[in-house]
Amino acid sequence: MEEDMREMSPEELGAVCSNLSKTCEKQMRQEEADLLGELSAYYRKQAPKQKTKKSKEKSESSFKVLAALIEQDLTQGYEKANKTIQDEHDRGAQRSLVWGEKATKFLKSLLTRYEKQGNALLENTSVYVCDICGFVYVGTEPPEVCPVCKVPSFKILPIRKEAP
Amino acid sequence: MHAVRNIRLCTKDCICLFVCPTGATDTENGQIDASKCLDGCRLCVHACPSHAIFLLPRAYATQQKKSGKTVDALRELAKSKARQEKLAQDLADTTDDPLVKQLATALVRSNRILQEDLHRESGFMLPQASITKDFLMEQLEKNTEDKSFPKEAVQRLLELL
Repeated sequence: MEEDMREMSPEELGAVCSNLSKTCEKQMRQEEADLLGELSAYYRKQAPKQKTKKSKEKSESSFKVLAALIEQDLTQGYEKANKTIQDEHDRGAQRSLVWGEKATKFLKSLLTRYEKQGNALLENTSVYVCDICGFVYVGTEPPEVCPVCKVPSFKILPIRKEAP
Repeated sequence: MHAVRNIRLCTKDCICLFVCPTGATDTENGQIDASKCLDGCRLCVHACPSHAIFLLPRAYATQQKKSGKTVDALRELAKSKARQEKLAQDLADTTDDPLVKQLATALVRSNRILQEDLHRESGFMLPQASITKDFLMEQLEKNTEDKSFPKEAVQRLLELL
């Protein structure tokens, strides 16, 4: 395990901590949740920050790289992981792969639509992310239940439009 | 085990006040007073018409063992999601278009949640488990030189968990 931890990027270390922080909140342990939140924020600051403003072309190329990584997850990552764990009888791990793969397919379809329509896709509407499984939805109102994890809509949270 | 109230679900029917033998459900802050709550009593849990009260265990069961293969497979996917989180974060930080920023921020959040779920199933399920303590100890050791590392926070966590 120690080897793995040493290889983790700030984002991965941060995600380990923010996950544990959420669990502490569910256990009504607010002090522990806040401390883990502090540690997670530290890792967020560790990631080297990009400062130079990006042109429209540069953003488009970033979306292309993201779409390629998503494609790689769908064609290789999930398939490999599913094969690896198929005989392990680990229901939790299987469940996380099922949800993750579905949410990733929705991401792929979203980025495909964005590539075709550009900002027209996002104008005069809202963007939501399911707080449980990461499903992203573009529309005026979130679905009543999440199509990936079936959580009710009050767990599907809006992403505000902010001035950059 | 003592009772806690989910304020989001509470419909203020106040049946918990009528059934609680110790007055633990009647508080100023909307939460049940754990010091007055009787261990495992459940009267308010069963009486609540909106199912807003549940019992919180004082101790948790040992986690299910994870095989090395499973851990590796889930962590590899988490690594890919972390890369995507970073890319989307850079995009959100550097764009001057509010719509691009909004979409990129959604991708940051989505990839973070996907990672959290993978880490949870790779063994970081319970904060009280030994894997969490090992993780925190290791981070403490590794970052002794770094003055900005929240050392006190990690030491306090090791005391509490």
